[in-house]
Amino acid sequence: MNDAMDEPDDVDLDRVWINVTAEVWRRRPGWLERTAAKLLRSPGLARALVTTPSLLLPWLISTAVIFGVGDLIRLDTGQPLVWLLAPAVTAVGIAYAYGPGVDPAWELAYSMAVNERMVLLTRAVTVFAVDALLGIAASAASGTVASVTFGWLIPMTAICALTLAVAVAARSATTGAATGVAAWAITVLANRTASGQLTAAITNTETYLPYLAAAACAAAVVLHVIRPQRGLH
Amino acid sequence: MNIELTDLTRTFGRNRAVDGVTLTAETGVFGLLGPNGAGKTSLLRMLATVLPPSEGQVRLLGRNPKNVGERREIRRRLGYLPQNLGYYPAFTVVEFIEYFALLKEMPAKQVPKAVAAAVEKVDLGPKAKARLRTLSGGMLRRVGIAQAIVNDPELLLLDEPTAGLDPEQRVAFRALMRDLGQRGTVIVSTHLVEDVGAACSEVALMSDGKIVFRGTPAELTARGADHGVGDAPLERGYSAILAAARA
Repeated sequence: MNDAMDEPDDVDLDRVWINVTAEVWRRRPGWLERTAAKLLRSPGLARALVTTPSLLLPWLISTAVIFGVGDLIRLDTGQPLVWLLAPAVTAVGIAYAYGPGVDPAWELAYSMAVNERMVLLTRAVTVFAVDALLGIAASAASGTVASVTFGWLIPMTAICALTLAVAVAARSATTGAATGVAAWAITVLANRTASGQLTAAITNTETYLPYLAAAACAAAVVLHVIRPQRGLH
Repeated sequence: MNIELTDLTRTFGRNRAVDGVTLTAETGVFGLLGPNGAGKTSLLRMLATVLPPSEGQVRLLGRNPKNVGERREIRRRLGYLPQNLGYYPAFTVVEFIEYFALLKEMPAKQVPKAVAAAVEKVDLGPKAKARLRTLSGGMLRRVGIAQAIVNDPELLLLDEPTAGLDPEQRVAFRALMRDLGQRGTVIVSTHLVEDVGAACSEVALMSDGKIVFRGTPAELTARGADHGVGDAPLERGYSAILAAARA
């Protein structure tokens, strides 16, 4: 018998231990994060997307409070001009919440390879999408909330989704943001021209379907960009 | 050269935090010493591509951080521990390190093992699943070190890494720095001269935004031979150079 057969090979216990702990501590991404990682072509952005709500619990609470107060005071008379500016105010709020002033890990995040503007854009989509879902749920109880949800939150979710889709496709957050702003301006002006009312883009129920179509188109663009390349092997 | 700085300047209003620094660094552990307000943190933030310089040239890992594409490549190979580590209180230790590993664009399949290795290196295994809000200051510092080293960086920037660590942890951390310095460039900003003496192969001393000394720890010690201020030889060298610079 060969002596070597009787003696075990040297075992690198550190390496074994790291493998064990890696398996024990491994976090299994949920379906949403896996889908987002494919759509956004970045596990980092997907992680940013799914962790956004948990970073700012007060934001979720404040959303619920705003819906409640909005419903109580019923400000749905006349033309809701403020809604046209509200997206910009919200965007500034999101940028501030995840910027150097408030986000505790901003400096660290800023030094990362994933572009900080892409992370911010992903957070904006998440904020609008979660708010829209909350709004849809609350719409069952209140007509005022329904008008806010369908006239503002869903259009904004669509615009932000379009922005993110263009940013992912073009690999440029600036290009995406420019496209999003242009798309919103065109939407507002086109509806004004058609109806004569400046706020038609957010009050005309006929626009809701195009908003959903825009969101679907944005998803299609992303899917087209990330399609498997054929004939390359 | 992994770091090449030429006449690097950063101003905040009228204050010149970093004033015409020219510096090169290769593989090894490089200590950055200086009193509070000397410009160490501003210099480190520019190296971390977080703060753009007002004037001068920076090349990191052979790339120009002004170029978007090259900056991204630098950041993939960078580890950075800021002076004030911000954290998300609801994240666990593993979640926090994993999050930044993903933002560094590490391949997703490599992340779990890399996170486990980083957690073990800073001896936080028993706290791996603990939420950050439950950890002590020293433990949070170790979490910060773990996220900085998770991608096995070619350029590691540590701003006051041993602040809050107990003596035993500091000894272990110096060994870790020496190990990392064999494969990449480690820049350690500190005002604790004993860290420099124990771990660094080279040291620079900053005062009023300028580098007033560069050499080995032994050369720094030699400068303090006839100087009486300080309890340890390195401290005497440190104070001798600072006194000369201020004079």
